Amino acid sequence: MKKSLVLLIIAIPLLFSCRKKEGDKYDGPSLNDVYGSFSVITPLSADKDSVDFAAGQTLVFSAALSKIAEWTITITGQSSGAVKRIEGTSSIIDASVATWIGNTSDFPMFKEEVCDVKLSFTGETDTLTTTVKIINPKLNPGFLVSDFETGMNPGWSTFIQSGADMDFQIKTDATAAQGNSYYNMAGTVDWDWLIGYLYFPASAYGAPQYPLASNPDNVYFNLLIYGEPGMVNTLLLFQFQEDEDGNGGFSGSSEDMYSLEIPVNWAGWKMVSIKYSDIPCLVNGQPSAPSGNGQHNPDKLQQINMLDLANPISGNAKTKVDYIIFTENAPLNP
Amino acid sequence: MKALILFIIALCSFTLFSQNAKKVQFVGGARSILSNASFQTQGEEDTITSRKSNGGYALIDLGFKINPNASTEILGMVRIKNDLGGFWGSNVAFDVRQIYVRGVAGRIFRYQIGNIDYKLTPYTFYNHNADMILNGTGVLKMKEDILNYESFYSKNNTWRQQGAAIDFGLSFPKVVRDIKFNGFITRLNPSNLSNIFERFFGGGNMIVNQSKYLTFGINHASVFDLKGTATALNPYKNGVSSVTYDVKFDQGNWRIGLKGENGMSNAGYADDTTRLEDFFANTQLYVKLKKLNLDVAAGYMNNGADFRSVGAQSKRINYNQTNNFFDRYTNGQIQRGLSVYDLYNDPLLYSSSISTGIMSYDPSVNNALPYGTASFNRKGIYSTLHYADSLNKVSANLSYYNLSEVRGQGTLSLKKFNYIKTDVKVDLGKIFNMKRDLAVEIGGSYQLTKRTSEIAFEQVSLTSGALSISAEFELVDKLYLLANVYHFESKGNDLIPVRNTKDEIINFSNFSADRFENYYAGGLKFQFNEDIYLSAFYETNWNNGNGLNPYKLNQFMIIYNMKF
Repeated sequence: MKKSLVLLIIAIPLLFSCRKKEGDKYDGPSLNDVYGSFSVITPLSADKDSVDFAAGQTLVFSAALSKIAEWTITITGQSSGAVKRIEGTSSIIDASVATWIGNTSDFPMFKEEVCDVKLSFTGETDTLTTTVKIINPKLNPGFLVSDFETGMNPGWSTFIQSGADMDFQIKTDATAAQGNSYYNMAGTVDWDWLIGYLYFPASAYGAPQYPLASNPDNVYFNLLIYGEPGMVNTLLLFQFQEDEDGNGGFSGSSEDMYSLEIPVNWAGWKMVSIKYSDIPCLVNGQPSAPSGNGQHNPDKLQQINMLDLANPISGNAKTKVDYIIFTENAPLNP
Repeated sequence: MKALILFIIALCSFTLFSQNAKKVQFVGGARSILSNASFQTQGEEDTITSRKSNGGYALIDLGFKINPNASTEILGMVRIKNDLGGFWGSNVAFDVRQIYVRGVAGRIFRYQIGNIDYKLTPYTFYNHNADMILNGTGVLKMKEDILNYESFYSKNNTWRQQGAAIDFGLSFPKVVRDIKFNGFITRLNPSNLSNIFERFFGGGNMIVNQSKYLTFGINHASVFDLKGTATALNPYKNGVSSVTYDVKFDQGNWRIGLKGENGMSNAGYADDTTRLEDFFANTQLYVKLKKLNLDVAAGYMNNGADFRSVGAQSKRINYNQTNNFFDRYTNGQIQRGLSVYDLYNDPLLYSSSISTGIMSYDPSVNNALPYGTASFNRKGIYSTLHYADSLNKVSANLSYYNLSEVRGQGTLSLKKFNYIKTDVKVDLGKIFNMKRDLAVEIGGSYQLTKRTSEIAFEQVSLTSGALSISAEFELVDKLYLLANVYHFESKGNDLIPVRNTKDEIINFSNFSADRFENYYAGGLKFQFNEDIYLSAFYETNWNNGNGLNPYKLNQFMIIYNMKF
């Protein structure tokens, strides 16, 4: 009995006192990251001097810091003025946190150009710089309705009210959000909401319907819209007419038309993106039941109508649109 | 009002009942406190803070203990409290303070439903007193008794819970002497039917008394959210399981033994990618020298960094709260931080319930074991010594801990803790055969926290010390002179973890101490009998305001206290 008890005395503490080694880890953030002094260990660099985004190349920035810091990489196109910001909080900047695929944060979109790259830190005065060259800008997968770079498609139809200062045309200048051209819509009409329109029938692209996927949850409609500073009158209306019976035409009494109203109440370029299944059916701006099968059928989309509207009390509207594109599975990443 | 009328009717009915059948007893207590306090900001002009404060209250806790039969007891206790100056119906509070039913079912099961005072083991469910470092007699003893009563703290380190408990035992003729089973279930908080689950705390243990040589137990306590009681999807669970043991040899004049508790815990929310899991071990070798009236023990503890036990790591005080008494001072009306004096003076600072999250602590008060023996991330050796002569003329305690962190915080370097505490109680009346009582108690504690590193911002050095001298001298029959001196000091720095809602460390805050506090009290107490006293005393507390905004607080108090 006594022998058993002695063994028990030895065994009990040993049984529970074996601990895995804790010497190589600690709880919480490193004290060095909280209280250590800041310095740049490895300066900012890019893995390439020139990058062809259209060919699927990416650009990786790297740097090493003495402590965790909030940093921002700002890439600015020297000729376009496009800006891309990559932000993070870390002590190591590498491919996992600083890979650029050629997209943009602030419009316009990048062009073939040289870009200035700046790495800055919150609360620190240090700033690191370098430059990179874009050989070809990023290509975005999807069906491009128009980027207005090649002028008016003869299959489109247009109407312009006979108001004052009417200016509906493709313009080419440095203010384009993508490329060099955009479609300008401006004018004053004080007797009607409609200022003008531009219709994009599928036939203009050589097919009876737009070549889109059938699942409306996977199709996104995207475009870039410019809001004129100080003007909030413009209302853009997009109508999506579906040819459900496949007869090559659209009947408002028996087929679905979905409508997207966009009050242009901001200043500058902005991307608008919406999932096709989220586009409502509107009649006079109010939600209504569709006239057809009641289902969103992007693969039966026959025509897109872009209407430039403004309240006739004020009557004037002024906006620009660029880069109208359908994408699949995700909104456009410009 | 309706409830009050019903209460009075019930009171009359029970009174008649008690007179006829003697099955109803009145239990409870009464207290009245009058306070006149003055506050002085020192070293800086203060034209805003009120200089004086008068207050007090009278309360009665009236309970009816009903025994409808020999095996059942029902207790209902109500509190009527009237703040000073609140007569004629204003500032009168009427609360239910305690209610339970308990008894024996089938002569086998003991049960209690309602308010239960419960504990299991120091690592599973235990009300550690980690902040009131030193015991004393005199004025501080009276104040400590009051705040313990107000918060339902008992000498047995139980927590007051609402729920049910059951226990029973089995005796055996061979192999083992007896086995005791204990179980409980309590509700910590109700659901709001949205993002807060119905939260319960339950557990139990089995204690096997094998022989005079060996006793061991298996214990488990678990806090858990009841799924389906809220629309949220991340219920919380914390389970702690342990084995307790006591192996001993008794050889006439001495006894030697080994006892301790070892176990493991897990904690976290359902949506946590990794749950916190760790173990703890606490084993001590003890020797009792009966002739010398001496108990000596030496032990080793290793509480993992991820060890979590809601039932054992809940603190009595949440240090994130603000003072209720002279809460702001100086012309800038800065907040007055919690002082050691406040810990004795204000029962409202104490919590009577356990808390799921890791509660904040004051590194100056107790940095070595902020959550008592169950503090996580501590390992090291300790020893204790206890002496008490058979006539209770002299008793002394000494404990020493040499600990370190198990896992570093923000660095691989570990903090080391040295903690020594002692108190000596001497009954001079008995020693010198005096007719009157004369008790003196001296206590002291010292803590040192150190982290050495070649990197300056990782270095930590914090010391804390406390000294308490208290005395009660019976001047004439039942009239006592009370005297207390208390000194507290803390200097140095530490880096304290800042945690998010999931108790993960997200940052560290600089803790800097240059504290100095002196407390003096003197007064008289008339002890009518063991349960009733009337006392008047004057106390003064000088606090250096962490070296920045010193102040002085004086208070004259009259306390009448009785239990029945």
